[in-house]
Amino acid sequence: MTQRRRIAITGIGMVTPVGNDARTTWANLQAGRSGLATIQHFDAGGFPVRIGAEVKNFDAAAVINNSKLLKHSTRSHRFALAAAEEALTDAGIRPAISDGHRWGFCVGAGMMGVDFRELEIVQKFCAPDGEFQPDGFLADNFPADPVAFCRSQTNSGLALLTRHFKIRGYATAVHTACASGGQALGTALKVMRRGHADFMLAGGFDSMLNPIGLSAFCLLGALSTDNDAPARASRPFDLTRNGFVLGEGAGFLVLENWDSARKRGAKIYAELAGDGNSLSCYRITDSPPDGDGPIQAIKQALADAEMSADEIDYVNAHGTSTQMNDKSECAALRAVLQSRVEDVLVSSTKSCMGHLIAAAGAVEAAVCALAIRDGIAPVNANYSQPDPDCNVNLVRGKSQPRKIRAAMSNSLGFGGSNSCLVFRNPEVVE
Amino acid sequence: MNPPKKIVFTGLGAVCGAGRTVDEIFDAVVNGRSAIAPITQFDATRWPVRIAAECNIENKILVPDRKLHKSISRTDIFGIYAAESAIAQSGLPEHRETLDAAAKIRFNDRSGIYAGSGGGNYGCNYDFFQSMAAAGGDLKKFGGQFSDSVNPMWLLKNLPNNVLCHVGIRNHFKGTNACITNHCAGGVMAVAEAAAAIRAGEADRAAAVGHDAPFEAETLFHYQRLGLLSPEIVRPFDRDRSGTVFGEGAASVMLETAVDAETRGAKTLGEFLGSGCATEATGVLDVRPDGDGLSRAIEVALEDAGITSKEVGMIVAHGNGTRASDASEAGAIRRVFGENPPPVTGFKWAYGHLIAASGIMDLVFALTALRQKVVPGISTLNLADPEFAPFPVSKTAQQPRNNVALVLCRGFGGMDVALLVRANP
Repeated sequence: MTQRRRIAITGIGMVTPVGNDARTTWANLQAGRSGLATIQHFDAGGFPVRIGAEVKNFDAAAVINNSKLLKHSTRSHRFALAAAEEALTDAGIRPAISDGHRWGFCVGAGMMGVDFRELEIVQKFCAPDGEFQPDGFLADNFPADPVAFCRSQTNSGLALLTRHFKIRGYATAVHTACASGGQALGTALKVMRRGHADFMLAGGFDSMLNPIGLSAFCLLGALSTDNDAPARASRPFDLTRNGFVLGEGAGFLVLENWDSARKRGAKIYAELAGDGNSLSCYRITDSPPDGDGPIQAIKQALADAEMSADEIDYVNAHGTSTQMNDKSECAALRAVLQSRVEDVLVSSTKSCMGHLIAAAGAVEAAVCALAIRDGIAPVNANYSQPDPDCNVNLVRGKSQPRKIRAAMSNSLGFGGSNSCLVFRNPEVVE
Repeated sequence: MNPPKKIVFTGLGAVCGAGRTVDEIFDAVVNGRSAIAPITQFDATRWPVRIAAECNIENKILVPDRKLHKSISRTDIFGIYAAESAIAQSGLPEHRETLDAAAKIRFNDRSGIYAGSGGGNYGCNYDFFQSMAAAGGDLKKFGGQFSDSVNPMWLLKNLPNNVLCHVGIRNHFKGTNACITNHCAGGVMAVAEAAAAIRAGEADRAAAVGHDAPFEAETLFHYQRLGLLSPEIVRPFDRDRSGTVFGEGAASVMLETAVDAETRGAKTLGEFLGSGCATEATGVLDVRPDGDGLSRAIEVALEDAGITSKEVGMIVAHGNGTRASDASEAGAIRRVFGENPPPVTGFKWAYGHLIAASGIMDLVFALTALRQKVVPGISTLNLADPEFAPFPVSKTAQQPRNNVALVLCRGFGGMDVALLVRANP
């Protein structure tokens, strides 16, 4: 059998609640600075939860500088455009007319979203008293907006980015809730291995920080209600954790074949070495307390990377800061790492930047690549009271220098989809 | 290099306006009966487009567990039903029962599921209208009262990946999985990724399902204004075609390795040969007039399958009946197959355009047609568009050249997907 293709990460871009580019995001995560605060971009004052992890001072026009593109993009599309542009610039390579068909695009995209102001228009015309009447659309003065319709389609982000960046090969959008970003990168890896693309722009974007998205998570009781202490509201693995903090943003990676990346002298952050996927088949919102489900995903990712658990030095946990997720994830890590659980550093960067939902897995994959490059395990912020059910070696207090041979990123979604990605240090590869 | 693993279909499932079994729907297709009729789900009598292929089968007939109905949406009912029909036909649940405890665990972990989902709908947001009306534009007021009128499980009911997780839970499919939300391409890409996972050794078997319930009022309104809908009929590749018509439902296939199927004595219905996927990078709505994208997807699929275009016996086209899509599709087929393409047909005249479920539904009936050695005619065809000639579409049935079918699917975002399958009698 011929040698399987090895895939390199050569470009990184991020727009997150702790920074509008990868460098700032990574610096703030290392410093343990919180991006959580009272929600500013709409009036959440009446909601049971009034805090979130917003992207701040993001000037879309400055980054994108294309008014037509901006008109066709939602809030989260703009994060995606900026992060993807940064990743391609960072990689020093981008699709051209001649090779656009060899570029693929895999993205974890949020749920179909309608801007709240557009929903208000529909409500005014079709449900003035609350009861939906379809004929409201037929009113002569209904302000039909075909661009808004296009923006709201499930794959409109994919359509926008492939067109803008001239990507003409394999393209897909996946949604498995909070596992979406991880699954998108896993899909990209597999498509490249089977030779259906030589380059990939892969990642995730999301923003559910709007009145409907916030309502939806409030109704489920999944969010931390620490409205008066937002900076400490997300405290993964802490005994007193009480829910996650809703975030938004985007993360993109440029992936290419290892040998051709080497040949062109590209800098390689890490190898995207393995992907594992499973379904918990337990409950829609809860994870099994014994870690069943995540365990299979982690084992599969290691096997896929042809790696033993002994090589893992850092785990970027899903660590949402909900009671069940953190407990289940620790059980899974203990089951897989076994005697090495004391050695392997674990942190959830959601402690600083909240939960980016469909973008989380992609942004956290980027964090793993940077952790490998710089030899630093970023801090699990806000941790003070140990939980006996979360007995793993957390990065406490401040970030820790550590030579990382391999890193792992977990993403565990509503519905029970579990994604695990494994990254290898380029020095180990060569 | 080892030859790729042979992957077979051991179960098919489908539900749509034309019926809720593969036989029932195929009977409508071969006999020229269309399920397109006036819309009944809402009062559309004043709407410029008021037809669709509705699937009006009671939920409890499709999914008997009524408790589940409260936590899922209409599209999920279709998806769960179709997937479980395919799983049932494969005989895998009975096979699983014969396994000892350890083998059962392995079976579960090695069973994958891939769903192509419509990804959401406008209507779910209407659940908030009562609160919005009461708040009268005051967001602060809205924030304090939405929980009085909205179901606490609202988000879960509307998750795009519901079919994936419920089919998984109900059938112990705990292996590799994905939920693809790529407009029309979702269902066929679910098949392509399921097959790729088995080929790469990540799973021994996988169900692929596509499901959608796209024709709510708001979608109908926008599609109609964009000129994508016909007010009366779908006429794929006809000179006088005037647009597409929505359908709803779901379709599913059960895939496994040929070795496993043979070992457990399962009947194989066909073989997966290859897939190709490309985008035209044209934005949400536009297609390239020259068919580039689709022709590249076909070429990738042929290469993936290791066959040449001469070995294709029939083509089930996307044929959505819009002027631009059909023209560029005919162009792409001509570009790959030259002056002598195999017989071409399309099925959307019979069960409408099922968006995320459209391509996988076409796959199920491509396999069914090939197994019966027939290329069903396009019953609504009056005059094949002379611009496309020579282009072998027909109102009446044709003969496939052999037992290999090419299935084409296109979607928003300039998405193009091609699948190649072989049928077993």
